[in-house]
Amino acid sequence: MNSMKSDMKKKSEIDFRIVALGAAVALLVIFAGGAGMSLLATEILIMALFASSLNLLMSYGHMVSFGHAAYFGLGAYGFTLAIVRADIPVGLAVFAGPIVAMIGGLIFGALCVRLTEIYFAMLTLACGQITFTVLFQWYDFTGGDTGITDFMTPRFGLSEQYFAVFTLTIVILCLMFMWRVIHSPLGLAIRSVGQDRYRAEASGLNPRQLQLIAFTISAFLAGIAGTLFAVFHGNAFPDYAGLGFTLDSLIMVVLGGMKSFAGGIYGAIAYTLLKTYVPLVIQEWELVVGLILLFIVLATPFGLAGGIKRLQTMLGMGGKP
Amino acid sequence: MLRIEGLKAAYGSSEALLGIDLKVDPGEVVCLIGRNGVGKTSTLRAIVQDLIGVTDGTVEFEGTSLVGMPPHKVNQMGVGYVPQDRRVFASLTVAENLRVPNPRKRDGANRWTVEKVYDLFPQLHEYRSRVAGVMSGGEQQMLSIARSLLTNPKLLLLDEPHEGLAPKVAEEVVDAIIDLKKEGVSMVISEQALHTIKKCADRVYVIDRGMTMWDGSVDEFYASPEVAEKYLMVQ
Repeated sequence: MNSMKSDMKKKSEIDFRIVALGAAVALLVIFAGGAGMSLLATEILIMALFASSLNLLMSYGHMVSFGHAAYFGLGAYGFTLAIVRADIPVGLAVFAGPIVAMIGGLIFGALCVRLTEIYFAMLTLACGQITFTVLFQWYDFTGGDTGITDFMTPRFGLSEQYFAVFTLTIVILCLMFMWRVIHSPLGLAIRSVGQDRYRAEASGLNPRQLQLIAFTISAFLAGIAGTLFAVFHGNAFPDYAGLGFTLDSLIMVVLGGMKSFAGGIYGAIAYTLLKTYVPLVIQEWELVVGLILLFIVLATPFGLAGGIKRLQTMLGMGGKP
Repeated sequence: MLRIEGLKAAYGSSEALLGIDLKVDPGEVVCLIGRNGVGKTSTLRAIVQDLIGVTDGTVEFEGTSLVGMPPHKVNQMGVGYVPQDRRVFASLTVAENLRVPNPRKRDGANRWTVEKVYDLFPQLHEYRSRVAGVMSGGEQQMLSIARSLLTNPKLLLLDEPHEGLAPKVAEEVVDAIIDLKKEGVSMVISEQALHTIKKCADRVYVIDRGMTMWDGSVDEFYASPEVAEKYLMVQ
């Protein structure tokens, strides 16, 4: 019985070697690469958190959201509006973003979890579009399509490198939190509902309640990403809640690999790099990115994370989580 | 402990049950028998309120009506359900599957723990870190029963527990059911194999065309072969 407990522990505990390795690579890029690389690294880090929050829903809760940018946007606007409209100091406003996103997730989630599968996805799409439209058209309050700019010094006035380190810290903390959630009894319950809600029900779990909890946690994490993004650029636009960002996050999760914790992170790295460097070579960058996506999806159905795992087994190394 | 009277239930507009009467006393094992499609599974589903609508009659568990109650609440009341198709969480390991149930502390009920379940099904302990989806049908069936036990049910519903299993494996499942009976777990088992009924049932209900047609003790059932002939033989 003891061996069973330790088996479980080993699997569910955070492997700090991997965290340290990831942080070391990021720090190396930030300090060796200079200001330009730091900006790119910051964007990748924020997207990694955003994609991971969607991955929590998709890989573990088996809920595909077509409106995930809503919570990213709510995070960005919760933060900026707190400064602009409520005169809250920047240091406190950073908490407003994630909280607004979480409340949004709670309200929209309560609606969405009443349905499942494609109907669930359609409801999330509707909720996402509602958020976008409100941000886009409520000129008096949100500034409409001109967005909100010039309300703070971007990056709190930190240098590119220091802000990248700051973002790295926050993102690592959030991802560690997410890992703990997934491997807690709550996470197990969420995973079992995702896999078979009727069996979970027969085991005494309340599927809607658990899905709503997962949805709210996911919205909260997306809100942190949105807030970081608004701090990073020093602005907020309705696009942050639009279909473009939703699609980006979906692509990142699929590209990085579903059913894997690291899927969102790999996806964010690969997609952001493609989006940054392919346009320098060819104007029709979207075509190239599309072809690359097609190849990856066909070659490794579980995305980059799946591909890496397969490579590791082929080389005879132990798989990392 | 369980009392069903004049139960009628339907899937949408297609009626499946037209008049089921059933009673289970504490510690009793009751078998539902009947040909395919007569409503055995529907009866069990109507008890746990799973995907079937009760249109008339009463379903009471310990004096509380279960009609219209959400399925997870029924489970929390102390009714465990092991469906026919087993349905383990295929991508979770055996140990993880067993950590899913939401255990309730019940006075007087058997307190099942993971250790106790492993004693009942030693194979599960052996395969505890294996992914459930790759196990054999019999092992999945055992896991499914084990998982239900961990919700500490007072009453366990088993839907054709050894359907689709190799005879030897089916035998092991039957042995487990007999062990459970010794532990004092009340059970309703939907069953087609008559030799199993002899081994573990106290009473038998014969169902035909959505209605309870005959009920009595196991001895009475075997003393009246005309019942089996009338309702179970393929005509």
